Amino acid sequence: MSQFRKSLWRGALAAAAVAGFVTSAAAQMELKIMAPAAPGGGWDQTARSMQQAFTQAGIAKSVQVTNVPGAGGSIGIAQLVNNSKGDGNQLMVMGYVMVGALLTNKSPITLDQTTPIARLTTEYEAIVVPADSPIKNAKDLAAAIKADPAKVTWAGGSAGGVDHIAAALFAKAAGADPTKINYIPFSGGGEALAAILGGKVTAGISGYGEFESQVKAGKLRLIGLTSATKTANVDVPSIKEQGIDLEIANWRAVVAPPGISADQKKALTEAVDKLAKSKEWQEILKAKGWEDAYVSGDAFTKILNDEIARTKEVLTAVGLVKS
Amino acid sequence: MEAFYSLANGLTVAIQPMNLLFALIGVLLGTAVGVLPGIGPALTVALLLPITFKLDPAGSIIMFAGIYYGGMYGGSTTAILINTPGESASMATALEGNKMAKAGRGGPALATSAIGSFVAGTIATLGLTFLAPYLVDIAVSFGPEDYFALMCVAFVTVSATFGDSPVRGLTSLFIGLTLGLVGIDILSGQSRLSFGIPELYDNIEVTTLAVGLFAIGEALYVASRRHIQEEKLEPVRGSLWMTKEDWKRSWKPWLRGTAFGFPIGALPAGGAEIPTFLSYSTERRLTKHPEEFGHGAIEGVAGPEAANNASAAGTLVPLLTLGLPTSATAAMLLAGFQQYGLNPGPLLFADQPNLVWGLIASLFIANAMLLVLNLPLVGLWVRLLAIPQPWLYAGILVFATIGTIAANPSPVELIMLTVFGVLGFLMRRFDFPIAPVVVGLILGPIAESQLRRALSISLGDPMVLLQSPISATLLAIALIALVLPFVMKGMGRFKAVED
Amino acid sequence: MSTNSQRRIDVAGFAIALLLLALAGLVWWDMSKLQILSPYDLGPKVMPIVVSIGLVLLAIGNGISALRGDLPERESLDWKPIVLIFSGLAILITFIALGWGFMIGTAILFAATSTAFGRRAFLVDLLIGAGLAVLVYLLLGKLLTLSLPAGPIEKLF
Repeated sequence: MSQFRKSLWRGALAAAAVAGFVTSAAAQMELKIMAPAAPGGGWDQTARSMQQAFTQAGIAKSVQVTNVPGAGGSIGIAQLVNNSKGDGNQLMVMGYVMVGALLTNKSPITLDQTTPIARLTTEYEAIVVPADSPIKNAKDLAAAIKADPAKVTWAGGSAGGVDHIAAALFAKAAGADPTKINYIPFSGGGEALAAILGGKVTAGISGYGEFESQVKAGKLRLIGLTSATKTANVDVPSIKEQGIDLEIANWRAVVAPPGISADQKKALTEAVDKLAKSKEWQEILKAKGWEDAYVSGDAFTKILNDEIARTKEVLTAVGLVKS
Repeated sequence: MEAFYSLANGLTVAIQPMNLLFALIGVLLGTAVGVLPGIGPALTVALLLPITFKLDPAGSIIMFAGIYYGGMYGGSTTAILINTPGESASMATALEGNKMAKAGRGGPALATSAIGSFVAGTIATLGLTFLAPYLVDIAVSFGPEDYFALMCVAFVTVSATFGDSPVRGLTSLFIGLTLGLVGIDILSGQSRLSFGIPELYDNIEVTTLAVGLFAIGEALYVASRRHIQEEKLEPVRGSLWMTKEDWKRSWKPWLRGTAFGFPIGALPAGGAEIPTFLSYSTERRLTKHPEEFGHGAIEGVAGPEAANNASAAGTLVPLLTLGLPTSATAAMLLAGFQQYGLNPGPLLFADQPNLVWGLIASLFIANAMLLVLNLPLVGLWVRLLAIPQPWLYAGILVFATIGTIAANPSPVELIMLTVFGVLGFLMRRFDFPIAPVVVGLILGPIAESQLRRALSISLGDPMVLLQSPISATLLAIALIALVLPFVMKGMGRFKAVED
Repeated sequence: MSTNSQRRIDVAGFAIALLLLALAGLVWWDMSKLQILSPYDLGPKVMPIVVSIGLVLLAIGNGISALRGDLPERESLDWKPIVLIFSGLAILITFIALGWGFMIGTAILFAATSTAFGRRAFLVDLLIGAGLAVLVYLLLGKLLTLSLPAGPIEKLF
């Protein structure tokens, strides 16, 4: 009981400290962050973590999170573009998945209509095989795909998502026909993981977080991550380092509505810049296992446009988007 | 008995006053949100994660487990009392439970549901303690073809919910299957029956359909016939508690429900809805009182409720042993673990024995707590039915709509709810059974996608369905269940001729 | 045919059969626009084909039972309460769509439904409904920080 009271007190003290800090700092922004997804998912968690860090670090006076779920973010972005035009206090969390979803859903609204602010985090894709698989590394997998793409079954997330795109790019880099890959979409990470552990498929592809504990326990073999070079948290060289030219990451970013003024854009960018550097945000990244990939301003706009172009190309190749 | 020792150890963690308090907060919160359709335990845990960030890991994970179990209780209470299943897993409970409540037997219905949940939860948690490592191997070896075969068994058995006319029952089922087509097809990424409306891309939410058909449809129907027959609700007719007869009729369904719920819940794509419907159909077939089914048979509440809770414990098997989140709530529990830098999975039992066994022990405690909290409340709950009818139904409509918009604040979702309400009204008026629609929506997409996955993996060879021993066995069961009633009927006729 | 059937042919039953037939047509038309993308997948068309064939057969089955007059007798219907409840729902949906929040709409829905069930105290019920809405808003919107549709009234809290 006393322990509980203590933690309550601690909470109250922390809240008081934050309140005091906010009044001393001059930041008076009242931000709204939209998560274009239902509560609980990755975008929602990003929005709510931003809310936490923004207020605790005293960068914004208040932050309100709203959820607009549906169709891979298509509904959220439509609301942002149509209803929040010129609102300099509004942000929307989005990610690489939205790039693909807008294309496959034939959304009339595109990301060009938003004002890009910054990329926040990134997660590399991991390719794994069951521990007893004869495939030992990326070269083996590439050879198997080249020999007969039909026989290499992939388990991953929904069709047209980042896992699917990464699998298609892997096949292309391996010299096989990306339209011939035998990619089997599963709903939810757990189901795909079960299929890989049960040896029902040749390989699995998803964010590394989904597989990490299985890889560490020796139940799955990590073929490699889709990063440029080996990352610190794994023992295996990246797929690119193994000679297969594949680099892709599932990033998350924030964008603002269309029609905001240059000053408003600058203010928002500065606020997010401060957020990214804050101790509070760094702590959250560590706790959640998110990799910092902060890029803001024109550099981010360029990344976004490059990603849209590449995704469109892949999705057209596998037939999900008609050119 | 290493597990025993560890469990005892876990109990000492769980009964620390602080952790007991967390469990209590959890079950209370869980019950409160379970009552609202659309807002389930998963959403609650998601929203509480940032708040509990600063608390100690054992305490908050114990609280989340309490929310999980509490949500199950809350969902079935509203299913029984006001025909508004708070979650899709409580749908089967509403079928007989609400009929019982309307006949003044709400007390026994709530009691059998509470005690059945306790019994099932306890047995299933014991199963989790001792069988998890073995069960998980079987669970992982379940491939797409095996799931498809399981769906075939489910399709055959749910015909028990069809009522007296096969044509009308099948019509309802096919309406459900049609609704199941709506949205993006997960395997090809193309949208079906969505007509370019983005809100339809995410498939039809099961709770929206169930609440529309059950709660709103019923409100419209009752309102339209008030001039003929005023519906009179007596909260209590006969005993408020379970009679000896009720106990006798309940204990076997509890055990059978557990036997369905726990293993299917432990399957990565098993879920809670399928075991509840399997349990309902089984009880309907085995009962000695078939005339009561459709008018409030206690077996039809006891079985599905037990199955529902047992499957909740079942989903923890792959979560704790493999780190496999197989339901939305399990995924949130996983996020809760990760928030504290704990990675559930093969190593969790070895790395964090105190935490894992503390969690398992607190499941026992949450279960007992819910029983102690809920039984005395039964008398209070059934008084809800004494609320004047206009307010009762007005309240039901408000609950149904708010639950829906809280989960998805979009007018389109409410329009769907209304359309399903009208559908429910028309189906009642023309005597079409309601449950098969929901069954079709749940089972259709799973059966389709699992079959397509199985055939993709086998490169189109249908023999894969017979080569897997699990699938072959299940298909045989489905075939027998399909043919047996006809054979029995034929035999009966044969005998009649001989006489 | 006319000699042995004393029973009246059921018009509503025929309407149901026609509706099912229309639904089958809709599913078929929608299916025809899909493409088969993966060379290994059975494709998204198979299930709609199965469903629409099933619906056609059931339309025939329902048509036959309508012809035989197998449908159960229906009681007379009072449209007034249905219209009331329906308007309540329509008002709630419209208010949310217009961005006026959910509280006023919820209060109206409560009062409309209770009127449909025979109460004659619209204003009192309006207040009760509003009270319920506030309670829910405080619990869900404030405690659980869910984003409920907010309008001018919600912003006061």
